[in-house]
Amino acid sequence: MTTPAIAIRNLTKVFPIPFKRERVVAVKNLSLEVEAGQVYGLLGPNGSGKSTTMKIVLGLVSPSSGSTEIFGRNSTSVESREDVGFLPENPYFYKYLTGAETVRFYGKLCGLHGAKLKDRTGELLKLVGLEEACDRRLGGYSKGMLQRIGLAQALIQDPRLLVLDEPTAGVDPAGSREIRDLILDFKSRGITVLLCSHLLGHVQEICDRIGILHQGVLVREGKLADLISIENQTELILEDSSPELIEEIEKLILKSKARLVEKRKPQTTLERFFLEVTGGKP
Amino acid sequence: MTHSFRTVHKNFSLARINTIAGNTLLELIRLKVFYFLLLFALLIIGSSAFMVNFTFQEQFQVLKDVSLGAMSIFTWLLAVLSTAMLLPKDIEDRTLYTILAKPVPRFEYLLGKLLGVLLLLLVATLLMSAMFAGALYLRQQMVIAATLHGVSPDQVQEAIRAIRAETFTASLVPGVVAIYLKAALCAAVTLFISTFATSWIFTILISVMVYFIGHIQSTAREYWLASGDGSQLAKIFMFFVTLIFPDLQLFNLVDDIVAGNAIHLLMFWKTVGLGVSYLGVYLLAAYFVFANKEL
Amino acid sequence: MKVRTIAAILLILAFGFARMNFEQKLTDEHRAAYFHGAKLNLDLRQKVGQLGFLAALSGFRSIVADLLWIKAHMEWEKTEWGRMALLFNTVTTLQPRNMMFWEMSAWHMAWNASLAASQDPKQPSLKLRLKAQREYFDLGRDFLIRGIQNNPDRYKLYEQLAYLYKEKYGDHCAAAEQYEKASQFPDSPAYMKRFAAYELAACPGHEREAYEKLRAIFDLGEKERAPTLLKRLKELEVKLEIPADKRIKVPEGFK
Repeated sequence: MTTPAIAIRNLTKVFPIPFKRERVVAVKNLSLEVEAGQVYGLLGPNGSGKSTTMKIVLGLVSPSSGSTEIFGRNSTSVESREDVGFLPENPYFYKYLTGAETVRFYGKLCGLHGAKLKDRTGELLKLVGLEEACDRRLGGYSKGMLQRIGLAQALIQDPRLLVLDEPTAGVDPAGSREIRDLILDFKSRGITVLLCSHLLGHVQEICDRIGILHQGVLVREGKLADLISIENQTELILEDSSPELIEEIEKLILKSKARLVEKRKPQTTLERFFLEVTGGKP
Repeated sequence: MTHSFRTVHKNFSLARINTIAGNTLLELIRLKVFYFLLLFALLIIGSSAFMVNFTFQEQFQVLKDVSLGAMSIFTWLLAVLSTAMLLPKDIEDRTLYTILAKPVPRFEYLLGKLLGVLLLLLVATLLMSAMFAGALYLRQQMVIAATLHGVSPDQVQEAIRAIRAETFTASLVPGVVAIYLKAALCAAVTLFISTFATSWIFTILISVMVYFIGHIQSTAREYWLASGDGSQLAKIFMFFVTLIFPDLQLFNLVDDIVAGNAIHLLMFWKTVGLGVSYLGVYLLAAYFVFANKEL
Repeated sequence: MKVRTIAAILLILAFGFARMNFEQKLTDEHRAAYFHGAKLNLDLRQKVGQLGFLAALSGFRSIVADLLWIKAHMEWEKTEWGRMALLFNTVTTLQPRNMMFWEMSAWHMAWNASLAASQDPKQPSLKLRLKAQREYFDLGRDFLIRGIQNNPDRYKLYEQLAYLYKEKYGDHCAAAEQYEKASQFPDSPAYMKRFAAYELAACPGHEREAYEKLRAIFDLGEKERAPTLLKRLKELEVKLEIPADKRIKVPEGFK
């Protein structure tokens, strides 16, 4: 069995409240694994412990008990972060740096320099579609562009794992679409993605597995398809069918034990319609 | 995507530290801090203008006193204000997370930040020194020109020599270095305080308090070391003041400069050594607190 | 987790402990260099008090002294002698090792203020005017005496005091004493010994002593034989009835 990208074992995190006896239990005995090459969605309402878990995995916060590992290396060690790239929620970066300078800054922090750094920066800027804008200061970037620069810096050292916190929040539909496509692209290249998001529609589209946290406890976990598919129902979508064919199928259904729940014209999503109309990539 | 870009992780990397330091310097230069320097320039020029009716010794003395005093204050202000904002800003903008999510040890982050401030202070000190030297030179030339009128030809050389000796004395350089060290020390103290402070206002207030108490720390120390008189309680209080606060008075070489004393080389190097020790200790203390900080 | 925070506190305290003696020694060295080894007769409490006060001005006492000095000059323009005296007192307390402040304070009092007092149009009585003049002489003299107490290692103020005695008090004996003291310093100019002897010559009862001194200087060589020296020697030779064969040979054309 290959090493999981993220292994969380019996993780508990307790925050003491200053001047009070009580404590806040942010995460309670959490155990889960994210396999390499997956897109994993970590979901939960505010205060459920998602951010805390994420920060512990990244080594920004230390666990009260239990452990977290990235590709077999304990999160508390600095080396473990060689394998991970992080994009926080609403990042600001340094406004006075250009897009290219920002990516290069993070590259230098990862030990890259010289021609290697230059090439890598160029490659990533092309990947996230910011080649033309790379010499403009971040102060002039839109939200979507900032997110994409954030993705570029997260990938600079070619990590095997990406941790993304609300990557599409506050981004317009076109930009959001681009980011989601990028995430799927990363997946196709074998990069594992841990995603935290409130935008369940987006999560549904790109995640393989999800975990739902509630008050620090993992209440549900598993393959997305398994979890949300309605077991006893089947969907058939027909193109260019004649009314006679439909009638025949309905007759067949009446004869069987099955029940026709709904017959309707499938709709395109509002998102696709919007993008078609505004000229974004559908 | 090839994996040829992978680099081997180093436990200590000067490149990482330099990257953070350089970035910090850029960030700070963009702040309004350099307007402080304008103020300083005005002060020098302004003080010169008031002094036409004085003897040349008086002119030089006031010029030096005011310039060095202003340098002292401004470098300190620059040090405290720049450093107080470093950590809070990075935390608020969440850039701290992106940096520490990379394989960057927390110690290198702190060191890089502090070095950025020290570089800024160096630039500021050099600029102010240049302006100061320029103003001093200008005044010297004006005084020489004025003196040549009322002096007989055979005394000219002597007069010029006397004037030159009054202006650029050897003790000016060590004095400026001591001013820089004091500011650097205060930056390290501020960094340490910012690691546990709840807001940057708190940081600045405590730093200012440290500055003032640091100047009378030597008095507390002497009170403590002197045996005999004094109440026990007062002595214990003085003991802790001595331990906790830095002795900033030791970095004040201005009076020696103005009194025309040469500063002994050995004493100067001892002062430098002390200053660097302070820097190291406060940086280390900052690291101890920061290493466990929940981000 | 708390361990590291405690470690930070302990580190600072330990460093504080370690540097205590080093800093005290450095402070003493500093003071010694500043005071040039001059021994001030102050007991510890006074020393701590005075230096504590000075230290508390945080390195700004130079600037404060300068600002007060400028203020004194402004008072001079308004001939406010009393205010000037007060400001001079503060300035010299702030910067006791600055010779210029002592010299100029004395000069303002003993020369300028005294002259103004002697010519004061608002004071009809000559007697009272002279009394005021004398008081300003005394003020000037006091500045120099205090200046010497704080700078016993420098010759300049002794010289100024001697000059003051000579010019304002006409007290040649006192002047001679001060010139003599000034001449003891290794960096004192060559003329100091001569001046001491000149004043001694004018001090009643010390003519013989003065003659010996002047003669010794004369014997040092051609360079020392300034016109005043020769003149004084001649006068003393007459006064002391020095035998002709022991008298000095003067160059031709000397009167």
